[in-house]
Amino acid sequence: MNASPVIAVTGLHRGENPQPGSAVIRSLRRVYPELRIIGLVYDSLESGLFSDEDAPDAAFTMSYPGAGVEAFWQRLDDIREVERFDVLIPCLDAEMAPLVDAPEKLRERGIRACLPTGASFKCRDKSKLAGLCERTHCRTPQTVAVTDVSALHQAAASLGGNVFVKGRFYEARHAVTPAAREAAYWHMMEQWGAPVLVQENVQGEEYNVIGLGDGSGRMLGSCSIRKMLRTASGKGFGGMVVRDPQLDAIAQSLIAELRWNGPFELEFVKEEGPKGEYCLIEINPRFPAWCDFPSTLNCNLPAAALELALGWQPREPLRHACPGKFFIRHAIDMTGDIRDLAALTTSGQFFRQPREVIPHPATSRNF
Amino acid sequence: MKLAPLSALSRPGSQHQLPEPSPFRVPAAAPSAAEDTFEFLTVTWQADGFGFDATSGEFFTASPTALVVMQALSLGMTRLQILDRLTTRFEVRRSTAERDLESFLAELAHLGLTRESN
Repeated sequence: MNASPVIAVTGLHRGENPQPGSAVIRSLRRVYPELRIIGLVYDSLESGLFSDEDAPDAAFTMSYPGAGVEAFWQRLDDIREVERFDVLIPCLDAEMAPLVDAPEKLRERGIRACLPTGASFKCRDKSKLAGLCERTHCRTPQTVAVTDVSALHQAAASLGGNVFVKGRFYEARHAVTPAAREAAYWHMMEQWGAPVLVQENVQGEEYNVIGLGDGSGRMLGSCSIRKMLRTASGKGFGGMVVRDPQLDAIAQSLIAELRWNGPFELEFVKEEGPKGEYCLIEINPRFPAWCDFPSTLNCNLPAAALELALGWQPREPLRHACPGKFFIRHAIDMTGDIRDLAALTTSGQFFRQPREVIPHPATSRNF
Repeated sequence: MKLAPLSALSRPGSQHQLPEPSPFRVPAAAPSAAEDTFEFLTVTWQADGFGFDATSGEFFTASPTALVVMQALSLGMTRLQILDRLTTRFEVRRSTAERDLESFLAELAHLGLTRESN
């Protein structure tokens, strides 16, 4: 291992559907400003590469998941010939399966990671939530996994017609008519492969819980929010910290049952009405894009995950974020340079250089 | 002071989609001191009529008269005592206040902001 660990982070694009990598980098640098961080990217236009505040020190292109598992490991080896990173923080769902299925491949390379076991990873799969929720007495919408159009319509009819059609890893579309269901089905199939999930539509307010499990059933820290703003595709664009003992208890019981190791995000809908129950929609096996928000409130989960992966003593207990604090996402434009783009596109690697300062004419004007 | 409509309890904190502009404006003034707040069930109300529920993350605004009623409820007052308080503090006929109070209590119940005993 390097004297000062080098960290690799994926998922650096913060577009309409923001990925978590840049937020993870920002949180790590809040505690470890000198940490060397490299980005593993799938596209030379991943926006986090060009940020002034949370860009990695270097970046390398990865092989697409479609290229297969062998290509994935081969590319990691090639990258480590150039930049021998010690810790990997995967931030995309599609990357998780090859890592979780082969922890020995990480171990034999000396790469540390904070990952769930294969068993707990599979137990939180969208198609297995019903069983998990039955064991933990948590309500979840009825969900049916389908692999053909006929089964899609049958499932939708059995769920009342008003359903969500969801991709295996990402995306959900609200579909009421058969035509809308079919369009959503083919879209999910093309994007994420089989199976496609058909889920009962539960109406209510959305709540998310981010946290870090220690692998023995305990949560090292967590933060719960109510989504205040959503994009057209349902992504949270603003959230308010809440503190509901009932929600905390449900989260604790799910993580205890899974013996979850590493970061997670639980997504709930609280049914409408005073007696509405929390209904578990899905469990994401990684940090969400809003993971830097709790870090501003002394609940730095990415830094704690790094310490857990390295076997370091935590700096201090993670605090509960204070209810009433909220985040609003703010999209800004960043300036890139064609040379950076060229380096990444042609050689598959890019090393961050000091930014060229272009003085603004107004700075020399006296009033 | 005239009685403002009790039904002026609104719930601006519900989820909504972008790109609709945010319908709420948080007052620019600094938060009220602790003594200017009171707890009514899970909601903390400020004297300026802004309420925040820390368990649900929802927030509300209320008219001055609605605040008086909720503060009275938080102190365990009966309906008759609340009516006395309303008619003392505001220029309103008792029958009007009584009708509005019933309607407001029903609204609170609908929002899950009252105990059944109230």
